[in-house]
Amino acid sequence: MNVQDLIKNYGSKTVVDEVSFQVPKGKVLSLIGPNGAGKSTVMGMISRLVARDAGIIHFEDKDLNKWKSKELAKKLAILTQHNNVQLKLTVRELVSFGRFPYSGSHLTKEDKEIVDKAIAYMELESIEDRFIDELSGGQRQRAYIAMVIAQDTDYILFDEPTNNLDIYHASNLMRMVRRLCDELGKTVILVLHEINYAAFYSDYVCAFADGKIAKFGTVEEVINKECLHDIYKVDFEIINVKGKPLSVYY
Amino acid sequence: MSNEERKKRRRRNRTVYLILIISVLASVVGYLLFNSYLSKPKLFQYILGLRLPTLVCMVIAAVAIGAATLIFQSIVNNQIVTPALLGMNSIYTFLHTAVVFVVGTGSPLYLNPNLSFCVDLITMGIVATLVYWYLFKKTGHNILYIMLIGTVLSSFFGSIQSSMIRIMEPDEYDTLLTTLVADFNNVNGEIITIAIVCLLLIGIFLIPDLRQLDVIAMGRNQAINLGVDYDHAIRRLLFGVVLCIAVATATIGPVSFLGLIVANLSRQIMKTYKHTHLIFGASLLGMIALVGGQMISQHIFHFTVPVSTFVTIGGGIYFLYLLLYKKGANS
Repeated sequence: MNVQDLIKNYGSKTVVDEVSFQVPKGKVLSLIGPNGAGKSTVMGMISRLVARDAGIIHFEDKDLNKWKSKELAKKLAILTQHNNVQLKLTVRELVSFGRFPYSGSHLTKEDKEIVDKAIAYMELESIEDRFIDELSGGQRQRAYIAMVIAQDTDYILFDEPTNNLDIYHASNLMRMVRRLCDELGKTVILVLHEINYAAFYSDYVCAFADGKIAKFGTVEEVINKECLHDIYKVDFEIINVKGKPLSVYY
Repeated sequence: MSNEERKKRRRRNRTVYLILIISVLASVVGYLLFNSYLSKPKLFQYILGLRLPTLVCMVIAAVAIGAATLIFQSIVNNQIVTPALLGMNSIYTFLHTAVVFVVGTGSPLYLNPNLSFCVDLITMGIVATLVYWYLFKKTGHNILYIMLIGTVLSSFFGSIQSSMIRIMEPDEYDTLLTTLVADFNNVNGEIITIAIVCLLLIGIFLIPDLRQLDVIAMGRNQAINLGVDYDHAIRRLLFGVVLCIAVATATIGPVSFLGLIVANLSRQIMKTYKHTHLIFGASLLGMIALVGGQMISQHIFHFTVPVSTFVTIGGGIYFLYLLLYKKGANS
């Protein structure tokens, strides 16, 4: 996926200003930056949930807008916050929706196997017949990830997945993201607020400030004292833990 | 264990269907046969001739209202709104009045009930779809805005309609009124055939979108993620909702709370996400409410209390219940 000169205006305010970058295939890329830096808007645009004002998003062999919605859903999945579903939907039924782009609501035998695998992968067997609205936040999050796994796309996008999760569930989620990339070969893009999660679990980091890319590079290139200070205007201490740069701020 | 549970759920659903269908049949038979002088064939035939069109109209309206409300609720992702709250009924009465106002009561566009119905349906389909589709897009599906603007629109169209009535000739107004305020004791029996045909056409037109509706009900982001052509699907579904409302209003007149009750009851007792099932359940519940209610109104209250009163009182109480006690489920 190749992003070129992306622009988004809200009224007269430019929130994303000529952003260009290339998404490394088969890696985990984290988008970080302060509030209002435009990272979530960029995520919205590359997941086609937000319309762009200008720019090109080259996905595989053509522009994102030229893709048929259904075909794109087999290649690219997005998981956003605020999934407040009011339907009487069991975990299994939710995960089965992951096969919707392929078979609609009539699942084939192959679909069912994929759904079974996704449920097993997220260890949801014991609650697969429970209704979504009766689950805890962490369980629900896992159910949604299982759905995305069943969707079987090359690219998986997460918009602030660790929001509203406690430390236990958040770090579990990040480990899961790593597994999606390492074991299943997915390309994962995340919008993250916690710099340390980005540092420990991603391959590349793209830091935004004022609607522009402040720095794009490997974890080591971006997560360092000078760079973080430029982006967040706060003093950072960097400690090396397990070969990764752990940032401390106060 | 999980297979057990699934089987249990399936059995439960079958029982629910059975009970609903039996109740519908019971209220239909009761409505047709109660006090019908079965022993005097001539009289019986006469009574049947009076009751059958009413019955068919109520059944049509029940299906149309149930489907419209359920689809609408899933489009806007909120279970306490109904198309009626957003003024779709007033748009219908406004358009109907406008047609008469422009062409006059002498025109075949008004005199021929079928033609008149078609004209209403077409204008309603175009105007209301554009209005609400634009509204959804402009507000970014923000339900609070939609409710607010809907309420304003409702009185806006109501005011235009009453202004038109005021400058109309009294005779014209008189003729208009008979078609404008259809009610259960004065159903619009002439358009039964065309209403059924319309409903069937809407059904066929919407079947592919109903499958997508299961996904659309999960919200815009999720629907797009799963490959639904969102804007396109919403426009088609909205068009269907608008036409259903037009059919229902044309046959039995506006019944504001019925949709809300049957849609929510259907969600409560069917315990499924599949809209085909939910719509079916809501239609059956609507029939029970309308036909049963009409029977009670006719034979117990002897026409002193119309069905719509029951529906409004019952619906009002149920609406309050939903607002107060189902907060969690309705976010």
